Amino acid sequence: MAGEKGNIFKRAWTAVADFFDERFDMRRVVSEFAGHNVPAHVNWLYCFGGITFLAFLIQALTGILLAFYYQPTIDQAYSSVLHIMEDVPFGVFIRSLHAWTANIMILMVILHMLRVFFHAAYRPPRELNWMTGVILFFTTVTFGFSGYLLPMNQLSYWATKVGSEIAGSMPFVGSEIQTFLLGGTKIADATLSRFYAIHVIILPIAISVLLGLHFLMVRKQGIADPL
Amino acid sequence: MQMADQTQRNQDSHQEGGVPFFPDHFIKEMSVVALVLAIVSFLATLMPMPMGAPADPLKTPVGIKPEWYFLTVYQILKYVPRNIGIAFTFLIFPPFLMLFPLFYNSVITRFKYGRLILHTAGALGVITAIFFTMLAYLGFE
Repeated sequence: MAGEKGNIFKRAWTAVADFFDERFDMRRVVSEFAGHNVPAHVNWLYCFGGITFLAFLIQALTGILLAFYYQPTIDQAYSSVLHIMEDVPFGVFIRSLHAWTANIMILMVILHMLRVFFHAAYRPPRELNWMTGVILFFTTVTFGFSGYLLPMNQLSYWATKVGSEIAGSMPFVGSEIQTFLLGGTKIADATLSRFYAIHVIILPIAISVLLGLHFLMVRKQGIADPL
Repeated sequence: MQMADQTQRNQDSHQEGGVPFFPDHFIKEMSVVALVLAIVSFLATLMPMPMGAPADPLKTPVGIKPEWYFLTVYQILKYVPRNIGIAFTFLIFPPFLMLFPLFYNSVITRFKYGRLILHTAGALGVITAIFFTMLAYLGFE
């Protein structure tokens, strides 16, 4: 219960903490989350995964802000991004932050994977976390590919055209995948709707679930011993 | 059973040596957060994303390249038959990358230099990827 000692802030904090502790056993939950020690061998090479997560948070925030103004149709897409760039307060900054952080995020995923690979941190019992991580890598790259089309500039159009042709030359299922991606035979409104749905609904749900699993497994299994 | 012991041992080792996650490690993490926020804000302010010309299906731009993380695949596809390159990139490489840790105990550590060979192969893969990315960046055909 709230103590008699301490200044008003400390007593208020204790009262709030007690409130949640009595109802949800919060002190135990918090101490399980943050009460552990970090092994002594952890050095700066271990920060890439965390930076990837930070980049994801920046992408979620700036992405939501961009979604307020962006229009996913062939007619409106380019002009709505132009509107963001020219009229919306801090629009240039938010869009540039989103684009730069996308690149940083992919770079950090790659560096994180290399760190885990060369420390052999994937070795049993952590194989499943490595597998989740590989799926997260491909999810992140797909984020990049789907987001690239959305501004509907020359780069967007031709990168998507070339990319979908490459997917289309996959053995056996190529043409089906290409038709599914484009929503037809060429880049049109259907393509933009699909890429937008993939970019702002499907992939965010997928990455959130995968990140949850990834972090739960790290907390349960701990950081791998050095080789 | 052995695996459960290993997991338990890892959890125990966290409680013994090392530094407390909070506040010691957490302060370091927050300083990295501040640094990353500073770097991306710096980049976004000084090098804002250009708008580019609107998409025009009738006008193919010259010398366009995919984003840097696709350059390795893009460059390799210039040298190998497309369906073989695609099959490797989408159907062979991802499952291999995902599943190789399953064979760590049964195959990789069975040989004396198993892990050395695996890591050398990995390092060669990284060097190859950087090499092809540079070739693509410089526009080699």
